[in-house]
Amino acid sequence: MSSTATKVFTPSGHDLGFGGILWSEWVKLRSIRSTWWLYGMLVAVTVGLGAQMSSSHGYNNEELEPEGVQALGVFATTVSTDFTGLIVSVLAVLFIAGEYGSGMISTTLTSVPRRLPALLGKALVFAVATFAVSAVAVAIAIPLSVAVLSGTGIDIDLGDPLYWRAQLGVVLYLVLTGLIAFEIGAILRSTAGGIAVALGLLLAAPIAFGLLTLGSSQVWIQNVQALLPTELGKALFSHPGRWELIAPGMPMEQAPAELWVLEPWQAGFLLLAWVIALLAVAATLLKRRDA
Amino acid sequence: MIEAHSLTKRYGAKTAVDAISFTARPGLVTGFLGPNGAGKSTTMRMIVGFDRPSSGSVTVNGKPYAEHRAPRHQVGALLDAKAVHAGRSARNHLLTIATTHRIGTKRVDEVIGMTGLESVARKRVGGFSLGMGQRLGLAVALLGNPATLILDEPVNGLDPEGVAWVRVFLRSLAAEGRTVFLSSHLMSEMAQTADHIIVLGRGRVIADAPVGDILARAGGDIVRVRSPEVVRLTAILTAEGGAMTSAEPDLLSVAGISARRIAELAAGAGIAVYELTPIAGSLEDAYMSLTRSEVEYQTTQSRAGENR
Repeated sequence: MSSTATKVFTPSGHDLGFGGILWSEWVKLRSIRSTWWLYGMLVAVTVGLGAQMSSSHGYNNEELEPEGVQALGVFATTVSTDFTGLIVSVLAVLFIAGEYGSGMISTTLTSVPRRLPALLGKALVFAVATFAVSAVAVAIAIPLSVAVLSGTGIDIDLGDPLYWRAQLGVVLYLVLTGLIAFEIGAILRSTAGGIAVALGLLLAAPIAFGLLTLGSSQVWIQNVQALLPTELGKALFSHPGRWELIAPGMPMEQAPAELWVLEPWQAGFLLLAWVIALLAVAATLLKRRDA
Repeated sequence: MIEAHSLTKRYGAKTAVDAISFTARPGLVTGFLGPNGAGKSTTMRMIVGFDRPSSGSVTVNGKPYAEHRAPRHQVGALLDAKAVHAGRSARNHLLTIATTHRIGTKRVDEVIGMTGLESVARKRVGGFSLGMGQRLGLAVALLGNPATLILDEPVNGLDPEGVAWVRVFLRSLAAEGRTVFLSSHLMSEMAQTADHIIVLGRGRVIADAPVGDILARAGGDIVRVRSPEVVRLTAILTAEGGAMTSAEPDLLSVAGISARRIAELAAGAGIAVYELTPIAGSLEDAYMSLTRSEVEYQTTQSRAGENR
């Protein structure tokens, strides 16, 4: 062709950066209605169930030792995690797998062609938002629960650091469980499949293991069961007064030596191990697969 | 600038793109033409790194797409107008992209204005028509004010006014020294927009030439002439060496004589002419003859006799 020294357009503007990716993912999270619905449900369920459990009069509060009282306080605000764990998981799957379902992923990967920063940014934004919302939910549920329990003659000692450790455990459990579901969604790239597998892990797996341990006294099955996210969560936000609450005045049942009894910090690290392992799988697949 | 070298994509035993090499240059609108299934979209997906080439390579503005520090300023791509979350508004969709490169809301509103989306910018994308979705896709491509545009069937679903606008707009972008690379399966559309055409058939480049050359290959233009004195005009044009067919009593399709020469001859003989249209039908014919054996999904003809 007769190209007479064609001029070439020179683009200008800011480079792609991780800060921009985070901001972008935040815009994505807040510009979808389901985010607000599900986070709203998370707060409502945490606060509502916390208040309801605190007002129940079925406790033998006369006989409770102080330890048991503290465990009761913890129970009142952690019982909702059976539901809120599901809520954050559904939100997490919607957030990541929704990109694939809608085709948005190709827009995202055009902006971030190296791919991994997009996945990490999205996970980070989800984790921070979920931490904030869960912390708010717990922060509302605690004074309400303490006040309601006080009305039934049960006084929680707020100077007990283990009470606060358990409350922090709830927040961490919701963040880490949500991240596990997020990664399941990233691996399966399907909203329906992701929700099915995430709920299977949180709902069906504990039931299945419950049946297995009923039919067998094999300790290793119980040990594997202890590694499920839901069981790790229970260990993470447990309070040492739990036994006192379940069986007041009874001597603590001796667990077989081979049975793993996890400290909260151990449970927390094991949940983190789930998150890191699944993240590695999700990241590898994202890099390898055609979008 | 887009440069492909022996670019190949195989899906199992099927070769979607078969060692193609081509260049799309700045300052030109390059049309990427081929029947459905020819490998156009797959090629475009490889350019922006959605799909990994089985072999070969492709660069945009000198580098693989993923290696650019500011990808959205280098390339504006419209590969799938439906690559949008239906629950998000058009403006928020643009914001999710703008934020990655710290592009301001001023530019976001600018591209909303350029593509005529002001009235629906805050509505959920789920309710958009095909045409509005396509406009949003163009807004996304333009957002980073990029040096190279890669557009897969950009006028698909647009109304005639929108088609005309895109055509003029793409030409003006190329005139600013940008590379404009767009695909279509319609030759007529390309003939009016592109400077250079690459024809793809079943994963291979079967023509790569300036529009004029592709036209020449068609063996001359056909001109449609409408006149009340068809019989007299036919005699004059036949004497001039033209070949004619007539579909209607007052209509002639003339091959072998330019529209300008027909007008001169008619004026010289005092014949009134209502219409004188050089038509792209010949382009379509050229394209059809180029791609006939390359169409993947043929309708009725058997492929048995073909030597491939």
